[in-house]
Amino acid sequence: MAVVLLPAVLAAEAGGQKRFEVDAATVGDALRALPVNNLLFDETGALRRLINVYVDGVDARGGRLLDEPLRADSEVRVVGAVAGG
Amino acid sequence: MAVLLPIGTRKGLFLVRSDDGKAWEVDGPLLPGWSVYHAIVDPRDSALHAATNNPFYGATTHRSDDGGKTWERAEALGLPEEGDLKLNATWHLEAGADSELWLGADPGVLFRSDDAGKTWQVNRGLLEHPTRDRWQPGAGGMCTHSIQLVDGTMYIAISAAGAFRSEDGGDSWTPINKSVAAEFMPDPYPDVGQCVHKLLVHPRRPERLWQQNHCGVYRSDDRGDNWERLDGNGLPTSFGFALALDPEDPDVAYVIPEQSQEHHFTAEGRLGVYRTGDGGASWELASDGLPERAWVAVLREGLAYDDEGKLYFGTQNGSVWTAPRGGGPWTEAVRDLPPILSVEAAAA
Repeated sequence: MAVVLLPAVLAAEAGGQKRFEVDAATVGDALRALPVNNLLFDETGALRRLINVYVDGVDARGGRLLDEPLRADSEVRVVGAVAGG
Repeated sequence: MAVLLPIGTRKGLFLVRSDDGKAWEVDGPLLPGWSVYHAIVDPRDSALHAATNNPFYGATTHRSDDGGKTWERAEALGLPEEGDLKLNATWHLEAGADSELWLGADPGVLFRSDDAGKTWQVNRGLLEHPTRDRWQPGAGGMCTHSIQLVDGTMYIAISAAGAFRSEDGGDSWTPINKSVAAEFMPDPYPDVGQCVHKLLVHPRRPERLWQQNHCGVYRSDDRGDNWERLDGNGLPTSFGFALALDPEDPDVAYVIPEQSQEHHFTAEGRLGVYRTGDGGASWELASDGLPERAWVAVLREGLAYDDEGKLYFGTQNGSVWTAPRGGGPWTEAVRDLPPILSVEAAAA
């Protein structure tokens, strides 16, 4: 099972849970399985612009992002983009 | 009367309570991480509703049935996938005439909920309004910020699309902007495109509407069919955002003028609340107790009045001021909150 880690505001919206184990083949599948998926994706299904995703420490926006494949022991970290100085 | 003020700030929601109007208790921040553009206590069931926005996670609403201890986020809120528009921000919540709840949002849209804010359905009459291509966003986005329901009639106002009236529960919307200036447009008196900053209907005299506009203060005595411009007559400027009325006297209104559209701070460097008692024919300063030198701003949702006519406003530097009916003397109820986006007043 891959692990997804959420930042504080998203964890609060997920009932206080910061760490999720998900059975997902890709980053997109993992994020869509979360109870906060409507905060990660807009109404068109696109990942919101200021959300960064790191898979095992590597920025998934530099790769295939939502189609990035996951291993059973992958760690997916959701991080708000650094904005505002 | 015990009063509860839901104070929306850039850094969450604060609940400010008083039994006597002298000692104030502050609870918060609730919903930390969310900018609360507006929050209300639904008078029908005492539920708290908040229009919540986050630069990373988008626009939504939250509801609490236990006085703010726990919150539920809206499950479904967005614009139709087949359209070109995306939801940018949630701006204003209003309890409906029956059991419904209304939500004004950017880009110039309106939502209705029939399950207390769990799911929201977009209003097609406004989304597909034939004049939409002539609307444009104001500095705060194209926000539907005013929603009023009186005697079966609905009014909304959008910056910068103007004011609209619906007689059929929101199925269709008639622009009501005659004689309202849009001095930033090539045609300064267009059908639509006016930059309304706040619109209120008098609860006891439902044909009387007031608006603080980008280009003046106006009153209508015929449900928005015609408007009379009221600035001058004692007001230092025509520009401002905040507006409040008196629940009993339809000739009374309050505004807090700002210097200009370029300079969004207090007019003449004074935190000045101005009051009219004659329908806008004249205005006088009602600022006893307020600092005479201050360059703070009060936003469009930042001024409120309660059922007894008491007044409350919140500033961008985090102070909440309150005054008895009539507008003075003012006292600072709370200070040093985050920048205040909205103030409402409810019976506690």
